[in-house]
Amino acid sequence: MLDVIGRVDLAAASGGTVWHRASALGKLGLAALLVLLAVFTGSLPLLVSLHLLAWTLALTSRLPLRVTAAMLGYPLVFTAVFAVARWDGTLATPLLLVLRPTTACLSAAWLVATTPYPDLFAPISRVLPSRIADGLFMTYRALFELIARTERLTRALRLRGGIGGGWRRRVQASGDSVGTLVLHSFGRSERMYAAMLLRGHSGRVCGCRHYAETGTGDVWVAGCAAAALLLTLALGGFR
Amino acid sequence: MSHLHIPDGVLPWPLWGSAWAAAFVILVVAGVIERGASPRDIAIRGSIGALVLAAMTLAIPVGPFEYHLSLLGPVGVLLGATASFEVLFIVASILAFAGHGGFTVVGLNALLLGAGAAVARPVFRLAVPRAGVAAALAIAAAVSQAAAGALWAVVMLMALRESPAGRAALGWAGGVAAAVWVGGVIVETLVALAVGRFLARVKPELFGAVGVPAAAARPAGG
Repeated sequence: MLDVIGRVDLAAASGGTVWHRASALGKLGLAALLVLLAVFTGSLPLLVSLHLLAWTLALTSRLPLRVTAAMLGYPLVFTAVFAVARWDGTLATPLLLVLRPTTACLSAAWLVATTPYPDLFAPISRVLPSRIADGLFMTYRALFELIARTERLTRALRLRGGIGGGWRRRVQASGDSVGTLVLHSFGRSERMYAAMLLRGHSGRVCGCRHYAETGTGDVWVAGCAAAALLLTLALGGFR
Repeated sequence: MSHLHIPDGVLPWPLWGSAWAAAFVILVVAGVIERGASPRDIAIRGSIGALVLAAMTLAIPVGPFEYHLSLLGPVGVLLGATASFEVLFIVASILAFAGHGGFTVVGLNALLLGAGAAVARPVFRLAVPRAGVAAALAIAAAVSQAAAGALWAVVMLMALRESPAGRAALGWAGGVAAAVWVGGVIVETLVALAVGRFLARVKPELFGAVGVPAAAARPAGG
């Protein structure tokens, strides 16, 4: 899952698609629209249409297909269990159950694969309590270093035979690994705090201010939003 | 297997809508309670949030499954209820952007995880005089995971009751939920015990914030 975040972050920062030139605010609006329409509609034709639209967005974001598939894995598995439990002999019920979260997930994949995280978090931070917004930025910044640390730790454990053996040994190794990560986290936060002081931290982490700057990509974003709304009207999504 | 993160579109909207509202109120209240938090505290929370996400990559093989840690107990003990809730809300938000849990249910996911973490520190404080740091951390983790897992199971079973077919499946679905719940509690408890032993040996000062002096946290002969 964290490998997925890393890949998506790379795609967001290095991509050159038309979506990368659209404003974060517009893309957030379109993603929210698609998620809400998918969650609230009871119309299967509309949901299938929205799902196809979400696939189009995800595929045109140039996010590698296997990363998109990896993102879809969790909601698919989770809702498959639900679909089995709520099986009523019709195809519509399991399709509705599976298409809702996967449409939402594809919309999320498109959004995060085309929007660097400072642009993505900046508008969100405007509506969240300030400390939560600061925490969002700091958690994301700390994440990749900790992922790398965890990967090194896991590799070292494998090489030294720490993964094998009985369950007692495996649990002990996991506990020691997590303990090491806890200590590293506290040490890292001290270094981060020192860096914040050195850079003249004013008590608030500010996201970049160009999340609302519109570009040529926004025409496409607006077009997709209009298409989603027209589909909703045409297919009677909320009758 | 351990993940309590529910995707979009599975639950009825009154449930996730009210959970969003409750989560927002709790965030505002937490903001008032934690208004004295320093930039250092914010930095620590950011790192612990990243730790929770990173710990999910540590897979512990349990039979045919792989268990991914949630660390609710240790996080709840080290940060306390309000700070833990803030951290877990951020974790649920970042996971939603990775397709791991839905946007509409960020509030509910944070409430479920936060409820587990909220009980950790009081349980730890009750247990530590008799059991010592490591065992108390394990007990806190057990109670945290049990609380969060039980709430998750209740939410899932409530969602199943929405349809006649779902009601018919309540029996076996409840069995699966119970098995996941018990497995989660056991693994989180054992790992928390190992984490507690490690921290008590290497950095007992960490438990100072919870009212356990370093000398008391350090194991005998350690």
